[in-house]
Amino acid sequence: MKGSNGAGGRERVIRFALFAMASISIFSVLLILLFIFKESLPAIRSQGFTLLTTNWSPNVSDPSAGSYGMLAFLNGTILTTLGGMALGAPLGVGTAVFIIQIAPERIEGILRRGIEMLAGIPSVIIGWFGLTLLVPYIARVTGTSGYGILAASIVLAVMVLPTVVVLSMEALKSLPHELEEASLAMGATRWQTIRHALLPAARRGILVAVILGMGRAIGETMAVQMVVGNARQLAFSLTERTSTLTSRIITDMGESTGVFRSALFAQGLVLLLLVMLLILGVKLVSRDKKVK
Amino acid sequence: MKPKTADRIATIVFWLLGGITVGVLLFIILQIFGRGLLTALNPKFLLGKPEAMKEGGGIFPMIISSLYLTGLTLLIALPVSLGAAIYLAEYSREGRVTGAIRFCVDSLAGLPSIVFGIFGMTLFVIYFGWGYSLIAGAFTCAILNLPTLMRSSEESIRSVPGTYREASFSLGATRWTTVRQVVLPSATPGILAGTMLTIGRILGESAAIVYTAGLFVRKAPTSPMDTAAPLASYIWYAQTEALIPDFRRVVDGGAAFLLLLVLLMNFLARRLARYYQRKKLAGGADG
Repeated sequence: MKGSNGAGGRERVIRFALFAMASISIFSVLLILLFIFKESLPAIRSQGFTLLTTNWSPNVSDPSAGSYGMLAFLNGTILTTLGGMALGAPLGVGTAVFIIQIAPERIEGILRRGIEMLAGIPSVIIGWFGLTLLVPYIARVTGTSGYGILAASIVLAVMVLPTVVVLSMEALKSLPHELEEASLAMGATRWQTIRHALLPAARRGILVAVILGMGRAIGETMAVQMVVGNARQLAFSLTERTSTLTSRIITDMGESTGVFRSALFAQGLVLLLLVMLLILGVKLVSRDKKVK
Repeated sequence: MKPKTADRIATIVFWLLGGITVGVLLFIILQIFGRGLLTALNPKFLLGKPEAMKEGGGIFPMIISSLYLTGLTLLIALPVSLGAAIYLAEYSREGRVTGAIRFCVDSLAGLPSIVFGIFGMTLFVIYFGWGYSLIAGAFTCAILNLPTLMRSSEESIRSVPGTYREASFSLGATRWTTVRQVVLPSATPGILAGTMLTIGRILGESAAIVYTAGLFVRKAPTSPMDTAAPLASYIWYAQTEALIPDFRRVVDGGAAFLLLLVLLMNFLARRLARYYQRKKLAGGADG
């Protein structure tokens, strides 16, 4: 940056242009927050606390006459996410431990590649798989429609698997070798080493993996929409049809206008806030680590 | 329980968990290909027009839509993410502004695609008045994929050895000349690998697309302002509406073809990444 010749001036222009491109991410986040918030204002104003009830009776011809409580769908989002994590987190962390600690080299390579492939499978395809195989299977076994929280949880477990496995693997890999060696040298078995030395030492990283997996589960739309049943009712049973925030938005957005549409944006806002909260959680968890 | 026994049981359980993960993946892939590959590789299906009410429809306009959307998205997202990555890797100092940029990139990466979808619908489709169009879908998809592209590009740029830059500086080159002539050429395979992965993601994206680019067309789009129906959107639409009598055949075939494309992109990305690693090792041996 020395001198006032042409080259220095050009450097400054380029530097500024590059900085502008880097700032587009800030700009995008602000725009998204602004627009989603602005679009949900009419619903927040006219519906108020009704938004937080289970009373969802939209009126397509006269939107302002309807009632737009989202609690049933928030319940659906939370239950399917918890269900997905209950299945996906142990499976994912276990697979990560298997890859890092137990699998022979050849199998390790196959698994790594498999996880990459799984991460790339589009959600409509996993949804279609769930709709044509999983739902009929659950229907046959339980004697219900097959749609519902159980089907959505299983689909979500598959979808969060790559996130949980890859990030847990990173957490386990970043541990110092001496930790494992010391434990083994003291006569601990491999399982004792994993349980008492490796997993506790990597717990923050694994927590981050699970939280980020949760973020994916909360926001997953197409695959969940295809298997959750899309009923507008509150459901606690595993095999009762219900909706999530995402499935409601994608199903109703096309035909909605006015306050109805605005209420869907309010659901999007809730979704956005939930995910932001998780991202903040990740920041907190990983900041503690640096201080220590 | 004796520690030895516990260890043996734990080992069996871990093998089981690993096996379930691989099993799920294989099962899904084999099912999708088993049911749809024959349809997907039939030229009449690939080059045929979609039908709305009767049997025998194809997916030609959807394939064109997907490719068109992918091209437009990269045209928007690649220059921006590359510029941002160069700034973060070569120009910025870690400080408050850089921290804010990184936080926003992390946030963008974590936001659900449906949020991008309804944002894009409001801003591009309605506010800008572009309607359901390729260009609205491409801008939405570009913002959605910015974090992935930025991160992979920044990583590739950072992994270029510092000695390359020093050599260039010592010859009197400016920072920009160094970036353009020395850093970017060495980082290209890594950037390309990230791009391939992103192409796979764009091809598979649907929640951000259905209300920005569209979900059904009869004819392949030609102008960026045309409504489109990328394959992933159409798959969702065809099974949700179930208007065509043979929607199962269409969705099975479409899903198999889409999976084939996505796996091909992942394969290319891995190839490039490996080539890159080998080159880096060779470069290290030279130095």
